[in-house]
Amino acid sequence: MEKYEKLEKVGEGTYGKVYKAQDKTTGQLVALKKTRLEMDEEGVPPTALREVSLLQMLSQTIYVVRLLCVEHVDKNGKPLLYLVFEYLDTDLKKFIDTYRRGPNPRPLPPSVIQSFMFQLCKGVAHCHSHGVLHRDLKPQNLLVDKEKGILKIADLGLGRAFTVPLKSYTHEIVTLWYRAPEVLLGSTHYSTGVDMWSVGCIFAEMARRQALFPGDSELQQLLHIFRLLGTPNDEQWPGVSSLRDWHEYPQWKPQNLGRAVPSLEPDGVDLLSKMLQYDPANRISAKAALDHPYFDSLDKSQF
Amino acid sequence: MEYDLENPLLGFQEDQSDTIPYLFASELDHMPCLNYVSSFETRDLDVSVRREGISLILQMQFSCNFDPSIQYLAVNYFDRFISRQEVPHEKPWMLRLLGISCVSLAAKMKRIDFSLTDFQREEGFIYDTQTIQRMELLILGALKWRMRSITPFSFVNFFLSFFKLKDPPLRQALKARATEIIFKAQREIKLLEFKPSIIAASALLSASHELFPLQFPCFRTAISASTYVNKEKLLDCSNVMHTIVMDSYESVLDTVSCSDTPVNVLDLHCSSSQSEKVTTTTSSLGTVRSERDIKRRKISDFCCNEKSFQLSQIQQC
Repeated sequence: MEKYEKLEKVGEGTYGKVYKAQDKTTGQLVALKKTRLEMDEEGVPPTALREVSLLQMLSQTIYVVRLLCVEHVDKNGKPLLYLVFEYLDTDLKKFIDTYRRGPNPRPLPPSVIQSFMFQLCKGVAHCHSHGVLHRDLKPQNLLVDKEKGILKIADLGLGRAFTVPLKSYTHEIVTLWYRAPEVLLGSTHYSTGVDMWSVGCIFAEMARRQALFPGDSELQQLLHIFRLLGTPNDEQWPGVSSLRDWHEYPQWKPQNLGRAVPSLEPDGVDLLSKMLQYDPANRISAKAALDHPYFDSLDKSQF
Repeated sequence: MEYDLENPLLGFQEDQSDTIPYLFASELDHMPCLNYVSSFETRDLDVSVRREGISLILQMQFSCNFDPSIQYLAVNYFDRFISRQEVPHEKPWMLRLLGISCVSLAAKMKRIDFSLTDFQREEGFIYDTQTIQRMELLILGALKWRMRSITPFSFVNFFLSFFKLKDPPLRQALKARATEIIFKAQREIKLLEFKPSIIAASALLSASHELFPLQFPCFRTAISASTYVNKEKLLDCSNVMHTIVMDSYESVLDTVSCSDTPVNVLDLHCSSSQSEKVTTTTSSLGTVRSERDIKRRKISDFCCNEKSFQLSQIQQC
């Protein structure tokens, strides 16, 4: 690891510390993610082995933050693993914040929203076609290169072998804002739809410059969703009332989704509504989303 | 997230079409270094080291009663490792340690429960976990943690889709034979220079040549017309593979003769060329004996007559 000079701690990821660092010989900026490698009776832990090799495979596309290399270090006999990723200067959360706060608050340019959404759907489609769910998509996990207008998926966290994390490594509460209703209701057989729900929430957030469903507990999160989209029933979502954590909820009628994202054009609202379908089986796939009319006006040759 | 040789990308997607370009684009990353084969020829690397290593892996697989796919994966790791990192010939213990660690990594990738001591039952002494762990990390480093190897098995279904006969049992038979050939082919040093996709295509062609000779020309034409396939490499690889297949040829032939496969399935053909029609007529009169004759003749076309690979023939199909 002498190859890199740590510049600053940039974050506390879900599974460990993240540093901004520089390759001493090439000057290249990188993000170093440090993970402990808990050795067991049988050598390198199988989960780490499978997760890192999965990450290695997924990072072959430009829509996923590139894993440059994996370095293993023995620190006082304790094995550490450094995952070395390409470095991007900001994330989507900070990017949205610069439009919301600061000296000159203004909406995000519609062309930027469109381009970011396209890149996001590309990346998610890539993960899904490789059989991988992200399960924790949120603006903080989407890295952005402001100059080039590039967005990439990051934090394809170590730990998909476990359940969706409730508390992070550092006991920071994992945000619920982007969590799909089937996960909140305790469904155990969820699939690609959980990521598409998150993509929808992120889409709306770019248009609104604030979160669509900012719940602070699982119950509050559900109520936020129900207030806007109406309380779901078995008719529109077969089997919802038999999910593990289903209770009787106040009955809300669906609101006009367009009013929640007033700046978004009608095609965008239509795509958003397809991402926020209650029944995961009806939710649009990432691949299908790429062909949605919302992207018709986008110059796709640049991707 | 289980690792599957046939589908290293695994998952819930039913449609594999999206991942095919990725498989072809990335297969080189899962091969031994380019100069691996030539380093055996120049004797920079000793053939006996590889032979010894593979036989150790086979032994371990046998004593643990593992699925052959684990052995395949372990040998892939082994080849990739020794093509990048020298294993001193005078240290046989190191080769053994390498073999054990490759099998251990492969078993973990495939979520097989095992204990490191199981591997070493036959051995005079046992490596401790720490040592194996260090070797595992050394392998992971050399292989850049690319442990979801893209192997010939990853391409079998793709190339099988070029085969005209859609009858599931026939396809199954073709796939089963191609699988056998791929396992066999892994030990042949001369085949190490070919990309996994080319090995898969050649193995399927060999299998089709044995089992469905009438469909073979059309199948070959379809495969070599694929934009993913380098026709010259395919021919080279097929020729090498042929010698391997010949070893087991007779036994396969016997199996085929005893099978219940009706002779008239051979009538199904897809070519409109004159020569094909003649062949078809012969076979529909067919006895097992004439089938066998056709095979003999075709096999010789396959490996000796380079002209059979001309573009003109490709266009016919």
